[in-house]
Amino acid sequence: MILPTFELHQPSSLAELRAICTGLETTGESYDFMAGGTDVLPNYKNRINARSHVISLSKLEGCNTIAVDRIGALASLTDIARHPELGRHYPGLVEAAGQVSSPPLRNMGTLGGNLLLDTRCYYLNQSEFWRASKGYCMKADGDVCLVVPQKEICYATYSGDLAPVLLTLDATLHFHDIHGQDEAAERSVPIREFYALDGIQRFHKAPGELLTAISIPENARQLRTGYHKLRVRDTIEYPVMGVAMALSSKAGKIERLELAVTGAEAIPIHYGDLGFTGRQIDDGCADELRAALCSRVQTYRNVPFPPSYRKAMAGEFAGDLLMKLGD
Amino acid sequence: MKSTGKRILKLSINGTVHECAAEPQALLLDVLRNELGLFGTKRGCDMGTCGCCNVLVDGQVQMSCLLLAHDMTGKEIETIEGLFDVGDPRGLHPLQRAWAEHGGSQCGFCTPGFVMTAKALLTEEPDPSEERIREALSGNVCRCTGYKKIVEAVQSAAAEIRS
Amino acid sequence: MSQNDLPPHAHEHPRQKHGLIGKRLPLVDAWRKAAGQAVYTDDIHLPGELVGKILRSPHAHAKILSIDTSEALAMDGVHCTLIGKEAPNSFGVLPVSQDETALAVDKVIYLGENLAAVAADTEEIALEALSRIKVEYEVLDSFLDMEQSCREISDDLKIHSKVVGNTNIHKEVHQDFGDVDKAIAEAAWTKTQRFLMPGVTHAFTEPMCTLAWFNADERLTLWSAQQVPHYLQRALAKVLEMDMHRIRVVRPTVGGGFGGKSDPFPHEMVAALLSRKCKKPVRILFDREEVFYSNHGRHPSKIQMTLAIDKDHKISGMDLDCLIDGGASGSFGVVTTYYNGVLANGPYRLPNFRYHGRRVYSNRPPSGAMRGHGAVNTRFAYEVLIDEACADLGEDPRDFRLNNALEAYTKTINEFRITTNGVVECIERATEAAGWKDKFGKLPHGHGIGMACGFYISGSALPIHWDGIPQSTVHLKIDIDGGVTIHSLAAEIGQGSDTMLAQIVADVLGLPIHYCRVFSEDTDTAPLDLGSYSSRVTFMAGNAARMAAENMRKLLVAAAADLTGYPSEHFVMEEAQVVNATMPEVRVDYMEALKRAMKDCGALQSSGAYQAPPMGGKFKGAAAGLSPTYSFQSFVVELSVDPLTCKPKLHEIWAAHDCGRALNPLAVEAQIEGSVHMGLGQVLCESFDYNKANVLNPNFLDYRTLSPTETPAIHPILVETMDPEGPFGAKECGEGPLLPILPAVANALHDAIGIRFYEMPITADKIYRAVQKQKKLARRNLVQG
Repeated sequence: MILPTFELHQPSSLAELRAICTGLETTGESYDFMAGGTDVLPNYKNRINARSHVISLSKLEGCNTIAVDRIGALASLTDIARHPELGRHYPGLVEAAGQVSSPPLRNMGTLGGNLLLDTRCYYLNQSEFWRASKGYCMKADGDVCLVVPQKEICYATYSGDLAPVLLTLDATLHFHDIHGQDEAAERSVPIREFYALDGIQRFHKAPGELLTAISIPENARQLRTGYHKLRVRDTIEYPVMGVAMALSSKAGKIERLELAVTGAEAIPIHYGDLGFTGRQIDDGCADELRAALCSRVQTYRNVPFPPSYRKAMAGEFAGDLLMKLGD
Repeated sequence: MKSTGKRILKLSINGTVHECAAEPQALLLDVLRNELGLFGTKRGCDMGTCGCCNVLVDGQVQMSCLLLAHDMTGKEIETIEGLFDVGDPRGLHPLQRAWAEHGGSQCGFCTPGFVMTAKALLTEEPDPSEERIREALSGNVCRCTGYKKIVEAVQSAAAEIRS
Repeated sequence: MSQNDLPPHAHEHPRQKHGLIGKRLPLVDAWRKAAGQAVYTDDIHLPGELVGKILRSPHAHAKILSIDTSEALAMDGVHCTLIGKEAPNSFGVLPVSQDETALAVDKVIYLGENLAAVAADTEEIALEALSRIKVEYEVLDSFLDMEQSCREISDDLKIHSKVVGNTNIHKEVHQDFGDVDKAIAEAAWTKTQRFLMPGVTHAFTEPMCTLAWFNADERLTLWSAQQVPHYLQRALAKVLEMDMHRIRVVRPTVGGGFGGKSDPFPHEMVAALLSRKCKKPVRILFDREEVFYSNHGRHPSKIQMTLAIDKDHKISGMDLDCLIDGGASGSFGVVTTYYNGVLANGPYRLPNFRYHGRRVYSNRPPSGAMRGHGAVNTRFAYEVLIDEACADLGEDPRDFRLNNALEAYTKTINEFRITTNGVVECIERATEAAGWKDKFGKLPHGHGIGMACGFYISGSALPIHWDGIPQSTVHLKIDIDGGVTIHSLAAEIGQGSDTMLAQIVADVLGLPIHYCRVFSEDTDTAPLDLGSYSSRVTFMAGNAARMAAENMRKLLVAAAADLTGYPSEHFVMEEAQVVNATMPEVRVDYMEALKRAMKDCGALQSSGAYQAPPMGGKFKGAAAGLSPTYSFQSFVVELSVDPLTCKPKLHEIWAAHDCGRALNPLAVEAQIEGSVHMGLGQVLCESFDYNKANVLNPNFLDYRTLSPTETPAIHPILVETMDPEGPFGAKECGEGPLLPILPAVANALHDAIGIRFYEMPITADKIYRAVQKQKKLARRNLVQG
């Protein structure tokens, strides 16, 4: 399948990237950044919101180093999944990275790409022919949502694996703003404020802002982390429910609990402790947590597995993680 | 339909630098097959979900249906045509030999992608467990074999390479 | 009936000592494939070739009011356009269902149907040209479920003109043997159960590709990924109104078929028509979504089965009703309609049997033949109900199956001629290997073991076209280089048919296998063979190859006799020599014998052919399911259910299959393992999903075939019954082994969690829902108790 025609830019430095973006913005041309391309290119093949310019980040120097407190946005998912120090402190993060798609796509895909992954929906991730025959949806070329017929909001499902884990760790995203004063200028946004509940807008990121790194606060190291992912096969597929948990407990009591969910709504949702801080970790507590999360999660009939099952799994995963991570 | 036109690029493939012309949006898979005549790399799903087009990029397995050709400059690309063993009368790499002898191919369409994926695995891990082999091959789909003989081929080749 | 009643088979010649039959040999094309050197259709390129692209219908059912291609044709780089009216001749794989056309003519009948086509210099131009074709439609009510297709309708809503009455039913079948009502009335155990199976598709890795060249000699060559080049040649002749001898079909290496490349396809007609129109080679390569629209996969099925078991725990009767969705065209569907019923007549004695089958047309991509054609879904129902009966009657399902197994050399109530039958040995060996007696009913909750059997044809005894000529013919040629050229039209599609032919010929001629070279891809050079479907190739083409090789051996042996002065019947061929078996020191080198044999006639030629013997009853539909022999299977599955998600996890599979004789154990195992994998996909996670008229999952992300990580350890067990009519005793191994795996999984799930499943695929969400329901019931019972 051929891609739609576009002009390709391959900056090797931030300075070059700034010049390219500024130039395009001056002439009013639209562009996409592309890191691994494993999300952008299938969408482009399907003619979903393809733009006339693509700025490939493949030649960009830097932005791929991994340290426990800061990970470059261009770090590959394989490198994250195999990073021993990350694995020691944040096993949930490396588990999540190791479960993204399949091995070759993890070699190509990046942290940044996974965090900024476009939302997914049966009515969206189809060819131009398919979407035309069905009637276009509001996210691409149409004006109404085909999952929940209305015109206000897109219900496509956020399908990244890493965001929920980073939400539980209270990570911060760092952006380079091409309009900023200089190359060192950086905008930092707590990940918990980054995502915006709408399948089209998805997050608070201005055009021209390039995600360069994420950082994880040092106090997150005291948390035990875990991630459970639901998909039909054990590989290739996106999460249709994913639950991340970070927990600290003492003498069997919850000291701090962070829960986040992916594969449900249009963005990953951080649920915090759901009021369970201070509770004794036992079967009863796990049951209540199951029920509490299950009742909060919203799922729609737009990805594999029925919504009710996916909701139920959110609860099951949370209960299981609690019992596994509790001391 | 506006075309931005073809641009010259140099690709290092199987140790040889090829100069060719490709449009900015050209995919590595298309350039390998249509421009360079390297037909060993197969087009299965074209969407990153079957592994038939897997090649090695700087030794790492990647999917050529989702790689822009122009992004591949400066990298070393290896395809099924690049595998060989001077000591073998057929010129085949131990993995390819094992594939043939153990029945790793039936229709053979997925074979190049599988072999390249297995090669990357064995370079990194000379003695992988069966579970590890299956995990490493989990981005590749085969509709003929049920994978058993594929796994056996990788195990046999691994043993041969180690010895 | 006894073994002596069988038609005489070619007598056994003195055998060479080191033969190739039964040897574990790599497939003859294995090295080429491993090297990446196998040439598939999309790897062939011709000078000046054009890109052909097809415009598809966005409607499920609509009248075509007008098609305007003028703007597309006016574009630079567009060589020609094509619409249905230019080639209205219909075609189809079965003579009774000639209901497909190259492109839709008066109306479109499914979303994705071929509507118009262009040939252009590049893909970009071709796609742009398609977008400039203007079509006006009058949208009609569409038929998207099977019951709807059974209702009374007006003529203009008929999907095809040839239907049952005023409905969209394509084919209706009634069969009744014995007294089913009496069997049910007198049964010790009986149950009526409905089953639901969505469609599944072949999901071969190589997308369809075809390359057509109508050249200045007024000859058409079509390279196409095909299982049956001959039927394609016939259909092309009809659609293009050309003499068949001017049409050459070439089958390059095929990247998987499984039945999905066994029909002649509209896109093949389109490529040929475009090429004839613009006088240039034209390639049509499908993207994955187009492959889904082409489909011809397993029929979605609604099955209702009543099973009756008598007081001696013998199966006493079956009342079967199958409603299957044929989609928008006939394809193999008339056969499928019969197979859904008749193939329930094994591997158990069934004294009373009634069948009502209906195949409907609908506005869906066509259904057709897929591995295990017609037998899979009914087999699921049958084996699940047997398991249920056993649970109710307190009998071990293994013992029950042994007690009910058909004998060898018998006749079924619908007059199938059963010859060799290894089902008992299959049951015994599979359950023995699995440790059945220690496990069944004894594994901890959530962990289970289940079994099922199977029964399948080894080639259809009656050909699709009743020409009265052999179903398989093989020609051999040996020239001065000593190599044996095997000409056949049996399509190598990865199953190893080339290897089978080479192995048989080399064995008979006592030559190393590398002497044989198989030319099985070209209708210009190959003698007729009906191709690779219905599990017919080993049996039929194998027998033809054996006969051809034996005829060739006569020439070489005669030459050796001539050279040595000993009688020719004393000679055997082994290790590239012609040896006097009674005086082994008298021997002639193969090449020496060859030169002598060639003295008067030049290159040696021989021929062999196979035609199934007459068999079967005289009633309507008696021919369906007749086969010169049948394969038998028994599988055991061990699995567990994930306590958190209810995902089933397969542990091990023991798969015993009666293949008559394993000509090449490596290849037989490969067929069993592949069949298991495909069947697991259908029972666990594959389904053709729809949202109204749209296929919801026309891609490999959402149409899920199992990956290496979910596919369990498979232990093939080869049971050999030495079929007296099979080549060296062989029968089929490519389809039957798919059948038992699906019900075996369902039965193992019951052993694990005590729940029955009647709908496929049995996905985690269905199991979870059932488990929750079970828990709720248990709690209620506890409260009430």
